Formats: sequence, C-alpha cells, structure tokens
Amino acid sequence: MSSQVILAAEGVHKSFDGFKAINDLNFYLDEGELRTVIGPNGAGKSTFLDLITGRTRPDSGKIVFGTGPGEEITSRKEYEIYRLGIGRKFQTPSVFSEHSVFDNILLGLKGPRGVFRTLFSKMGSAEQDRIEDVLKTVGLFDKRRDRAGSLAHGQKQWLEIGMLLAQEAKLLLVDEPAAGMTDEETHKTGELLLRLAGQHSIIVIEHDMVFVRQIARKVTVLHQGHVLCEGSVDDVQNDPEVRRVYLGRGKS
Amino acid sequence: MFSIQILLRRWLLPVLLGAGLPMAAAWAETVDPALRQQVVEAVLQEDEEQAARIEALAETGSDWAAGVLALWRAGNLQVDRPADGPELLFTLEGAVARRLDTGESFVPVSPKEVATTSKIRKAIKNATDLIAVASPDPKVRAAAINKLGMSQNADYLPVLLARQSKESDAAVQRALREGIALIQLTDEDDVVCLAAIGVLGELRSLGSVDLLQAMTVSDDESEAAKAAAGQALHLIERYQKQVETVGSLFRGLSAGSVLLVVALGLAITFGLMGVINMAHGEMMAVGAYTTYLVQNIFGGGVALSMFGFGLEVPGLNLTGAAYQSYFICAVPASFLMAALVGIALERGVIRFLYKRPLESLLATWGISLILQQLFRLIFGPNNVQVSSPSYLSGSFVISDVVLGYNRVFVIGFAVAIVFLTWLLLTKTSLGLFIRAVMQNRQMAACMGVRTERVNMLTFGFGSGLAGLGGAFLSQLGNVGPNLGQSYIVDSFMTVVVGGVGNLIGTVGSAIGIGMVDQSLQSLTDPSMGKIITLGSIIFFLLWRPGGLFPTRTRSLEG
Amino acid sequence: MRKSENLILIAGALLLLVVLPCLNAFGAEGSALHVSDYTINLWGKYLCYGILAVSVNLLWGYTGLLSLGQCLFFSLGGYALGMHLMLKIGKLGQYYQAGNNPRELPDFMVFLGYPELPAHWVPFGSFWFAALMVLVIPGLVAFGFGWLIFRSRIKGVYFSILTQALTYAASLLFFQNKFTFGGNNGLTDFKTLLEADLNAPDVRRNLYVATVVLLMAVLGLVKWLLGTKFGKVQQAIRDSENRVLFSGYATTSFKLLIFVLCAVIAGAAGALYVPQVGIINPSEMTTDKSLEAVVWVAVGGRATLLGPVYGAILVNVLKSWATTAYPDYWYLILGGLFVLAVLFAPNGVAGMPQQFRDLLVWWKSRRSALPDTAALSA
Repeated sequence: MSSQVILAAEGVHKSFDGFKAINDLNFYLDEGELRTVIGPNGAGKSTFLDLITGRTRPDSGKIVFGTGPGEEITSRKEYEIYRLGIGRKFQTPSVFSEHSVFDNILLGLKGPRGVFRTLFSKMGSAEQDRIEDVLKTVGLFDKRRDRAGSLAHGQKQWLEIGMLLAQEAKLLLVDEPAAGMTDEETHKTGELLLRLAGQHSIIVIEHDMVFVRQIARKVTVLHQGHVLCEGSVDDVQNDPEVRRVYLGRGKS
Repeated sequence: MFSIQILLRRWLLPVLLGAGLPMAAAWAETVDPALRQQVVEAVLQEDEEQAARIEALAETGSDWAAGVLALWRAGNLQVDRPADGPELLFTLEGAVARRLDTGESFVPVSPKEVATTSKIRKAIKNATDLIAVASPDPKVRAAAINKLGMSQNADYLPVLLARQSKESDAAVQRALREGIALIQLTDEDDVVCLAAIGVLGELRSLGSVDLLQAMTVSDDESEAAKAAAGQALHLIERYQKQVETVGSLFRGLSAGSVLLVVALGLAITFGLMGVINMAHGEMMAVGAYTTYLVQNIFGGGVALSMFGFGLEVPGLNLTGAAYQSYFICAVPASFLMAALVGIALERGVIRFLYKRPLESLLATWGISLILQQLFRLIFGPNNVQVSSPSYLSGSFVISDVVLGYNRVFVIGFAVAIVFLTWLLLTKTSLGLFIRAVMQNRQMAACMGVRTERVNMLTFGFGSGLAGLGGAFLSQLGNVGPNLGQSYIVDSFMTVVVGGVGNLIGTVGSAIGIGMVDQSLQSLTDPSMGKIITLGSIIFFLLWRPGGLFPTRTRSLEG
Repeated sequence: MRKSENLILIAGALLLLVVLPCLNAFGAEGSALHVSDYTINLWGKYLCYGILAVSVNLLWGYTGLLSLGQCLFFSLGGYALGMHLMLKIGKLGQYYQAGNNPRELPDFMVFLGYPELPAHWVPFGSFWFAALMVLVIPGLVAFGFGWLIFRSRIKGVYFSILTQALTYAASLLFFQNKFTFGGNNGLTDFKTLLEADLNAPDVRRNLYVATVVLLMAVLGLVKWLLGTKFGKVQQAIRDSENRVLFSGYATTSFKLLIFVLCAVIAGAAGALYVPQVGIINPSEMTTDKSLEAVVWVAVGGRATLLGPVYGAILVNVLKSWATTAYPDYWYLILGGLFVLAVLFAPNGVAGMPQQFRDLLVWWKSRRSALPDTAALSA
C-alpha cells in the first residue's frame, strides 16, 4: 500500500465560546487508509469533521488535503472542498427524502455542478451505468425507484455512502455509520467499508466497539480535542490513559 | 344654544386658560361696579381714545376684565340693542345671558356680536398681556413676561421693572431679567445695550438668538455691541447644542423604550421559543382594547356589538382620582387578557406547528387577519378614544429640556418589565423550566419537565408582555384595529438585530434603533427617517445575520 | 398523475385561450353563451394573480424560500409599465384639457407642482424600454438583495422576515410624494396602450389573451425546469440544504437564479395586471398582499404545478363573492381558510385527491385489520 499522506491536520485549534472543542490537534492520514476515530462524548470528533469539510473554520492551524504538495483547505467553502474530493456522511442520515433513490445518486454523481450546466445537462448512458453500479455496490438497486424518505434507517446510511461513491470522493468521512442499525446491517456496513478501503481513503467515527473491531486497522483516540493515542485496536484498548479516560466504558 | 356651549367648551376655555384666567375664580368673584362701568365704557365708546381706554384697563390688574377682553377679542361678547332701551353688553354662560354692567342674568331681545377692529384687538392683547404679568400662576406670569420681552416694546419696561422688585419666584425672576434685557437691546445708550447683551449671554437665552443674530449684521449697531452680541451668541449656541443633544438622547431613549416594550414579548415567543407569531401585533391590540374597556368600565360604560348582538358594558361612573386610577387596573388586565388569547392560540394552532416554523408563520398570519376583523366587528372600524390619566399627561422642563410625563413613564415602564422578565426567567422555577425546555426539549422532557405546559405558559407570558405593550401604546397613540400592524415589522427587526434568543441583545438593539431613528428623524423628516432606519437595519442584518449578539451554537443542522 | 396534469393543462388552455374569448367576441349579447366584457376583465385579473402564485410556488413550494416580497416585484413591474401608460395619457389628461399643463406632464406631477418631467421618467416614453424595465427592474432588485441575503446564509424564517422588511421599507418609500411615483394615489387614469384605447372591449380581450399566453408560458417553463437536474437540485435544497452544499453544489447561485427568475415572472404579471385594473399604488406592495399570494398557493397546493393557479382563482372568486355578500366576514373567511389549509390540508386542493385516497386506504386497512386480530385472539 502506498504511504503517501493524503490528509494532514497540524496544530489545529477551535473553541466555541471559550470551550476548547479542538486543542492542538495533529492528525495524518495515508492514501487508501481506513482509519477509525474513537473517543468519549465531547472529544471533538464531529467538530474535527466539520473542520475538514469547511463547515467551521479553525481558529489557528492548517489542514492540507491531497498527495504531493497538497492543497490547504482551511478557508475553503463547503462545495469547493467537496469538489476537491472530500465527501461526508452525516451522523444522522441526510438524504434527499422527496427524491427517488436513483435521483439521490444522480445528484451525488461526479460532474459539472454549475448553475447553467445543470440546466442544460442531459444524462447519458455512461452516467446511467455508473449510477446503477453504485446502487448495486450499496445494495439498493432494487429500490432505485422508491422515495428515499421511505427507506429504512440502515438503507438511508448506505444510500448516503452511495452518494459519496458516485462523487468518486478520494476521502470519505463517515460519521457513526452503525448508529441505529441492527447487528446484521452493521456487519454489512462494515463489509462495505472494508471493500471500499484501498480505492478510497476513509475516516470512520464510531462508538460501537464490535464494529470498530470488525473494520479497524489503525485507531485514533481523541480526548478533549487532542489525539490521546494511536495504534491497533488491542494497543489502544490496553493503553492505561485510554482506560482512565473511558472509565470502564467501551471495554467489551 | 347647543353650538355655543360647544364653542365655549372647545375654544373659549382654552383661550381663557391660555390667557391665564382661572375661569371659576374670574366669574365667581364679586366685581366692583365701578370696574364694570369702566369696562362697559371701554367697549361701547367707539372713538379715537378707545384703544387707550382699553389699555388703561391693564392698570386695574383685574382678571375679570382680562376675561371679558379675551371674550371680546375672540368674538364672543354680545350686545343687545332693543329698540326702546339702552345698549346692554352681556356674556353667555351656557344658555344663560349675563349683563356685563350688573352681573345679572336677563333675556336678550336682539343680540349681536360686538365687532372689533385690528387696532382694538391689538389694544386688547396688550391689556391682557399686562394683566397676565400679575397673574397668580407663576407659569403664566413667566410666559406673559416672555411675550412682552420678545415684543421689544420699551413701553413695557416700567411694568417689568416694577414687577422685578416684588417678584419672589426664581423662574419668573429669570424671565424678568431676560425680558428686560431683550427690551433694553433696543436702548439708544450703548452702555445699557451692552449690559443687556451680557445678561442674555449669561442667561443662555434661547429666545434671543434671532435678535442677537440680527444685531451682529446690523449697520445701526456699534462695533462693541456687535462683538458683544457675537460673544453672547456663541455662549447661547453652545448651550443650545447641549440642550438639543440631551433632548434627542431623551427622545431616543423613550423611542427605544417603546420598541423594547413592544418587542420584549416577541423576544420570548420568537427569540426563545422560535415561534414566528405574526399575530404578535394583534396581542398588543388586545392589550390596548382591554385598556379601553377598563377605562369605560370605570367611566360611563360602553355599548359593543358582536355579530349583530348588542352588548352593554355598564360603567361605574367614577370621577376624579378614582377614575384616573383606571390605568393601574388596566395594566394587569391587559396582561391577563393577552396572555389568555395567547394561550388559546398556542393550544389551538401553534403547538401543532413547532417543527414547521414557516407554516406557523402562515397560520398565525391567518389568525392575525381574524383578530383584526374581530376588533373591527366588536369595537368598530375607527380608532377608539383612550384618554391619558392626568398623571401621564403634561411635561416638566429641566433647563430648557422638555420631558413629557408619558415619555418618562415609558422609560420607567420599560425598565420595570425588563426587570420583571429577568426575575421570572432567572429566579423562578418556571423560568428555570423555560430555559431548560428552550435549550434542549428532549432532555428537559426526560428530566420530568412537562414541556407542553411550559410551552403553553411561555407563550402565554410572551403574549401577556405584548398585551402590556398594547396598554402602554394606548397612552401614546391611536387604538384601532390596525394598531398591531404598524409595530410588527419593527418588533421583528428589534429582536433579530439584538440576536435571536438573547434578551439583553433585544434591550440593546431596541435602545440603539430608537436612538438612530430619532437622530435620523431630526436630520430628515419622520417618514424618511423611518425608511432610512429600516434600510440600515436590513443592511446591518445582511452584513451580520446573527445580529448584535449572535447565539453561537455548535450544531446548525437544519 | 403526469398524464392527467397534461390533460388539465391542455383543456384549461383551450378553455381560457379559445373558448372564453370567442364567446366574448361572438356570443350574442344576452344569450347563455355570452361572456361579458366584465367577466373577461375579471378573469384577466385572476390569471395575473395566478402567474404571481406560480412564482411564489416556484420559490416556496419547490425551493423552500418563503418570500414575502413577491408583491414588491409584482408592483415594480406594474409601476414600470404604469409609468409608460402615464406618459401616454398626454393630451387626454385633465390638467391638459383644462389648459394648465402645456408640457403634458402626468396629472399628479402638475398637482404636486413639478416644473418638468424627472429625468428617470423620460425613457419610459418608449414602450419597448418600459417593457424591458418591467423585467429588468424586479430582476435587478432581486439580484442585489438576493446576492446579499444568500451570501450571508440567511434562510428559513429569517429570509421571510427580511423580505418582509424589504417590502415594508419599499412601500413606505413609494408612499412618499417626493419619490416621484405619485405617493399613495399611485399611477392611474390610463388611456391608451400602443395607441389602442384601454377601455375598448377588444383591447381588454387582447390583454386577457396575453395574460393566458404568459401563464401558459410560465407553466411550461416551470415544468421544464423541474425536469432538469437544476430542478432536482432546487428541490433538494428545499429538503436539506446542508446536504446539497456538502454534495458540492454552490446553493447560493441556485437560490439566486430562482429568486431572480421568480421576481421577473412576478414583474411580468404585474405589468399585465396594471392596464387591466387601471391603477397601481403602494398598497399593492404591502406584505399582506404577498401573504395573500402565499394563501393562494397553500390553498391550491404547493409544490404542485397547477395548484397555485387553482388557488389564485378559487380564493379570488371566493373573495369577489364574499366581499359583496358578506363584507364584514371576508377577512374571517380568508384567515380561517388559511389556518385550516395549513393545519389540515398541507397539500391544498391539488393534493386533496391523494389525501382522500390515503385516508381511504388507512380506513380500509383498519377495517380489514380488525377481523384478523379478532380471528387471532379467537
């Protein structure tokens, strides 16, 4: 596997009304890597994703995306960052519920996104095929004509991942994919993510330790907006600092 | 007869009172028959000396004589010229004609108004002005002296100087100094003139500005006088600026307080609860109409019509202080009434729409239409009359700054309700629940807070505050079915500018907007001032969507 | 659904565009088939409202932007054409005929003592310039305001409140006499349009036909727009703007384009409205009027193609009837209608068949479920 860094966050700080959500965060992700980020509530996991996707801007520090020299994305707009190839799946599933499953993927599809291009673009057979491929990958082909809002919770999560795939995102940010899923759905999601790793770089934020064990190769533990430790699942679980922070939680 | 009565009440009384004649006293006192004769002669003998005779009446110092003269000047002195008898002068008191020479009532045969010429009217005015200088009311004295001074007529100088020696009231003494100095400005003797200029400068006489200005450019004045006038002007103008600044600060503060009173309720329902209540203005109207009802219950009662059914509200027929106290009862009544309507609205409509803010905007607009029409049906389409109690009308002057009682009251009222709101939100358990529910509905529900009830009470409280605002607006302007409409945009702007969900922000923005509005209004005209203020607010919000004090949240998911 | 929609569209177009005008022109006076000039004029007005409602729906129903400023754009279009009509009164004006107005100024300017025509009025003497301004002025105002408001990420109710404030400020401005647009009396007493007498029945009929054509064109535009990817993005913005933003679309530009487009549509509707009713004044641009247009959409059915047109016609027919039959109760009816529509018929008239079908299905399922559970427990 290549070991080129695709995402680097260095010395990032962010506080909200005096509360330090992110405190001197340093984080590096290699190309094609599947990284799991864990940490107790309020550790700054979601804020970290907000910072990467341009939803909030850091008070100081910088975030660089891309192999080679990379591109600083610290002050870019959301849609610009997205167009660079960073896709995000939100914690609560957010799909376009009034649109069909097919249209959801269509909207996510990589391609021109300008106002006038969307007015006059026609869908070709190549795009049709691509959408069907993605639908098959996430297992929603049979449901392609359904209203997205009518899907089950787990299916919405997959649809959202599908939208990221359609975008051909280089970096997938996946926020708590297993939340609210049945065990079987969780397992299927894990398999999906493992299949995608390699072609995409992925950051997964998760609480569910069974799921983490299923997918994790390298785990980063966040605590009070700071990286507490990094390593394999076993290393991390045996780390005394981590045990102290979790106070007995997540030891299963 | 009826029309004369109206005339008396509408026009004559103010004229008389304006000339400083306490009516009752003037007519009740027994008048010296010689004086009566003197007055009758002054009126009836139309010759070269008439004007002088009229002015000579001033020397009597009689308020009664001044009253008659004022009636004459206003064209309300009558003469009866029966074919077979002497001419009889008389006045009308209601339907009763009273002879001027004896004070007895009689029935006139062919009454006619006593005519005046402009010369005569001038003489009358001079006479009544001079009489007013001796009036028992110091305010009237000061006003009369001021008038004489501004006339710069040297004939009045002896009167004023004579008055100066026996005047005890400080304000009147000041007016006398000013008046005398104003007259002395025209003195031939440069020394007197210079001294007068000095006095005017020292007194910071605002009334003398035009005269002094004329002096500085006049060719008739000596160089010394011009220089002195320039110096005095400088002093006065600096003082004038201070007065104006303080005055517009005060007006801005009171305008801001009005905004605050009308917006505070919205700061609760919109700011804290996030409900767009387009019927907020109508909650104010509910409060204002409640005030109107309470006033009428204290007074003579009122007949209402509801869908064709007449409803007589009986009155207590109170008078005097008891009647004046109606406003004290109207304030809590307005709060309660608006709170009840608000609670009904919350239970009936809004609670189904908490998750759909745009829809609640639309539904409450529908409610506002319904309420407006109900006001029209019940109270009539025109404005109703709400009279201010005596303790809210009038004004006092502190070193040339006019402070209206109602404006001072507005400020005090605003401070009081902000304080009460703050107390309720921070010191009571309801306030604790309100803040808990507004911050995290689910969590509060889990902790056993009855969120439904809290919503209802919060909305009721916000609406009640709007009702208070309405009770209050009834003292400042018209009460009509559209009362709320004229304030709704202002209220929303105030809350948004302050930062939604931030009560302190609302206070700050209300006062800020009030100040800006007043200063713009003094620069341009009122309606342009309002447009510019609104325009600036829009641009401010486009630049700073969060308002003055944005509420920062970590999650903005929407 | 699609098929029936097309059918209604074609049938409606035929009825409004061919049948009604023909009956007006050729139907014998007094016969049952005659359509009076008054009716034609009235329907011309309703359909102008219909166009306005379509623009409100495109913004609110399909994009989730509840603008309370659509009446401002409607009025701006109306004023732009109204200025032209004022200048064409010329020698027919009252002051001119009384000999007090040799410069042929609009009457209100003589009344208010203007020495000459203000410079910005001069180009409106040309019909084509005025016609262009009907579209350009609302478009420019919408562009400027929209650019600022969307750039600041103002949305939801804040968007509504700010458009309300904009409309309120504009109406205050137009109420001012010195703003050169006739103050609270506005512009009125029009005589001719393109040399044709505005009071002649055939001219009125032509204006009516022009209104129907514009309505059909606007409906066609909306239908086409919704089919494009742009339309899909637009509706996605309504459902979850954040997600669209995080899918790489610059939502600001999309919203801005829609906002400007809707302003232009409203302006065109206003320009057709003014010669048909013969007056335009600032009371047309109050927020209440904008909200009334929202009522039409809510009653007709938002996010449906034809709902707004149904709503505009329905509510206004009701209004014409109620304001004469029960003048005191009209606002109670309008307000009540609105509350009921919001609470109980979120999809309006157009959505009612579906609502009934759902209700029927639900009722049937309950009925059929009952014996089953009874059998189970037995």
